[in-house]
Amino acid sequence: MLEAFLEGLGLVLQWKAFGFMLAGIFVGFWVGLLPGLGGATTLALMLPFIYNMQPVEAFAFLLGMHSVVATTGDITSILFGVPGEATTAAIILDGHAMAKKGEAGRALGAALASSLVGALIGAAALAVAIPIVRPLVLTFGSPELFMLAVVGLAFIAGLSSGGARGMLRGFLAGCLGLFLAMVGQDPQAGVARFTLDTMYLWQGLDLVPVLVGLFALPEIIELVVRGTSIAGDAPSGDISKGALQGVKDVFRHWWLTVRCGLIGTFIGITPGLGGAVAQWMAYGHAAQSARTAEERKKFGEGDVRGVLGPGAACNSKEGGALIPTIAFGVPGSTSMAILLGGFFLLGLVPGPDMLTKHLPVTFSLVWTIVLANIITVGACFLLLNRLTALTRIPGHLLVPVILVLVFIGSFTSNSSYADIVVTLIFGAVGYFMVLAGWPRAPLVLGLVLGKIAENYLYISMARYDFEWLTRPVVLVLLAIAIGVIAYPALQSWRGRTRG
Amino acid sequence: MNSRIALAALLAVFPLAAAAQAGFAGKTVTIIVGYKPGGGYDATARLLARHLPDYIPGKPTVIVQNMPGGNSIIAANHMYNVAKPDGLTIGTFNRNLPIAQLTGVQGVKYDMRKFAWIGSAANETTILAIRAELPYRNFDELRKSKERIVIGSTGPGANTHDFPLLLKDLLGMNIKIVSGYSSSADIMLAVERKEVDGRAGSYTSLRPFIDRKLVRPMVRARSKDNALKDLPIDESFAPNPRAKAIMALRSAPEAIARPYVLPPGTPEAIVKTMREAFAKAIEDKALVAEADKAKMDLDYTSGEEAEKVLQEVLSQPKDIVDQFTKYIKFGD
Amino acid sequence: MANRASLGLAIVIMLVSGCGIWSALAWPLKAKLFPLVIGIPLFCLALAEAISILLAKQKSDDFRLSADQPNDVALRRTLLAAGWAIGFFLAIVLLGFQIAVPVLLFAYLRLQGKESWVFTIVFTAAVWACFYGLFDLLLHLPFPAGALFGGWSG
Repeated sequence: MLEAFLEGLGLVLQWKAFGFMLAGIFVGFWVGLLPGLGGATTLALMLPFIYNMQPVEAFAFLLGMHSVVATTGDITSILFGVPGEATTAAIILDGHAMAKKGEAGRALGAALASSLVGALIGAAALAVAIPIVRPLVLTFGSPELFMLAVVGLAFIAGLSSGGARGMLRGFLAGCLGLFLAMVGQDPQAGVARFTLDTMYLWQGLDLVPVLVGLFALPEIIELVVRGTSIAGDAPSGDISKGALQGVKDVFRHWWLTVRCGLIGTFIGITPGLGGAVAQWMAYGHAAQSARTAEERKKFGEGDVRGVLGPGAACNSKEGGALIPTIAFGVPGSTSMAILLGGFFLLGLVPGPDMLTKHLPVTFSLVWTIVLANIITVGACFLLLNRLTALTRIPGHLLVPVILVLVFIGSFTSNSSYADIVVTLIFGAVGYFMVLAGWPRAPLVLGLVLGKIAENYLYISMARYDFEWLTRPVVLVLLAIAIGVIAYPALQSWRGRTRG
Repeated sequence: MNSRIALAALLAVFPLAAAAQAGFAGKTVTIIVGYKPGGGYDATARLLARHLPDYIPGKPTVIVQNMPGGNSIIAANHMYNVAKPDGLTIGTFNRNLPIAQLTGVQGVKYDMRKFAWIGSAANETTILAIRAELPYRNFDELRKSKERIVIGSTGPGANTHDFPLLLKDLLGMNIKIVSGYSSSADIMLAVERKEVDGRAGSYTSLRPFIDRKLVRPMVRARSKDNALKDLPIDESFAPNPRAKAIMALRSAPEAIARPYVLPPGTPEAIVKTMREAFAKAIEDKALVAEADKAKMDLDYTSGEEAEKVLQEVLSQPKDIVDQFTKYIKFGD
Repeated sequence: MANRASLGLAIVIMLVSGCGIWSALAWPLKAKLFPLVIGIPLFCLALAEAISILLAKQKSDDFRLSADQPNDVALRRTLLAAGWAIGFFLAIVLLGFQIAVPVLLFAYLRLQGKESWVFTIVFTAAVWACFYGLFDLLLHLPFPAGALFGGWSG
């Protein structure tokens, strides 16, 4: 195994493969940064170019591009409050708030450092898990996946601010998200639910236009209202010092970062949950680490933990997501599906062979993720000054450009004007939610997990009747879910008896 | 006098041919795919897009545009109502859209017969495959099984659901369909986990798993594929002509598994040019090599044949359609 | 302000979930189970929120969108921002992306940003060139012509 490990590194360090990786990084850098470009679409566009490459080179290119997108997507989220990718929306809540306080450097430093840590954890998981990966994935059947969705939903409690009022609103947002997830044709009876007689809603609400509307539009409105640059009148401070502080924050909250990285990896490994969930669960977990109710309230206003949690999880899930793709041929996301297409194109068959015969190739994938992330994070740190300077640009120059990118992003995923309408509608919803003090994170969680929860529940019931409730992993997950919900209540009770 | 007419005719044809040539030069042909990137329809379209320029006079650029939604009904509606019939927009969509039209799905704004058909780039066959370690050696044993066989599906309207549904309801097999899996790949994972016993699906998508000996094919729908000729056909077990007609109707669109159309009213000359381009591109050595590597099997079915199949599907008698609708709902 | 927004949202949610529950009742059991299990608590929660606002009448902790502008200025600018966004959308539908983008850039910079003619023209040209180069030439992402020019109707 060790020889394969080192051989994999050797494969990546060959001139051609390395060169292609750099090219992939360059492309991925811009794809993540620009909200109009989706990682999946660009992957599909890049596929034709890899036909004439050797397997290792081609994957260096594709993976180099893919692993970088989450990191640079974080940058756009922090600086502009616009989700660069659907998977980087959670970091907006605290990251952008920090940018508005003039702490963009610190937020970026924390995001970059935690991204690197997360990527390393994901890559390590991929490497280490190889012998045990098949039994691991096979233990997670539909009942366990349903329970995992329940755990994810339990985080809604963690994402609501304290007190009865906060909980009410958090659950209100979460229920609304769940309700919106019901739109579309249901897979049990084939009924078109809540489609308002349109074809567009047949397959449900698309996540990207909703996210962009919920988060980006209120920020744009605010930019116009404030009439200043993003950082406003906050003192600029020394940017590199800020970034260094951000990096130190990651080490200060080392175990939180690692835990969030593990959460991300785990979500990535379990096929069927989707990539968007990881960041929100990590954010919820980070919010829980607040020790008092006041600290909890500060989340959403610029707590650095709200940055490094999602930052780590987003990148670690990439390493995790490769596992079911390589070991079983089951892609966890659209990007993975395209990567899978790349595998076939190059004559590699995902499955046990990749873990035995082609082990060096698999390890070269691990090394690609590691190296690509190190290079990207390094490059971003070098560009930090220029990046943070963007928060000093007058708002009225940024607003139209962001609007253009946002609308292009909404439109091009489905070539549909209706997506832009959805963005506008959810922009209004997001704006009023912020005005009313309702948390938006639970809505996203509900939207993302609703269908998964429903489908896996039906599958579990159909297959196992009620027996699945007594499976060991299911019970463990149930305990975790209860713990996640009870923890904040416990905290405030302890806080009150102490104070 | 005759020779002058002949000369005039010749001179008339030349500019037309030249116009056809000039028509595409420097232009961009867009293939609209009714699905997101990454799936089979998209992969086929992109493969064709790479090789078609060599066979279309004028060598235009060919690009792919994804227009998912409504299970590709949106793309079909767009091709029928909005796209201009100038040969610059080609559409490909769900092979079951003729069924959607037949069963009167709300939102259908096209008539499959009125499209200018280029043809189909592949055939598919739906088969049912069961976990290899199960004791059933052939379809007969499976049919008579006293044990319930659990089949995973993605939802009504997909062949993962419809094929076993007909086996259950029309042949009376002891099948339980568990639906809700997010993709057919997820169902394969469930097979490995022993959560379900098998799945139905296109032979192409199941082949890697058959080769890996995870599952074994048991029964199939009607097919032109030589590799499947020894597998029993579902229709042959139908207890009465109506059941047979229903099964045949479900399988009919599979002969046009990767449909490609031009908008209605496209001039004959352009349709002809496109048909020839597709037929030649699909034979192109480089394309075949790429397709093999990607485990895709492209096979040109002409537009005329496609139109024949459609006529058959869309002129089914009302009572068959009514029965059919009871079992098969159009969907994902 | 926060309370009014909260009340408004709660009422809208009650209406939406109410309609949803109503239409779901007609469906077969498997299709309506989850929508009802979620929709009914959703309605109740929204009702609870609305009632607690109407009864309480106290000022809760406001998470104001921006605390540094007086209310009427903020309101005017908010409506303005919304207007620009919707206007851009209409421009895209009527004129097509290729034309709407430079029009928006130009109009916004001139009218809202009050920049000089030279700067506006240069900035618009630069951004439009980037947009065109990246999305059209490099990535071949197709953008339809606007409705006024015989393009799509959506």
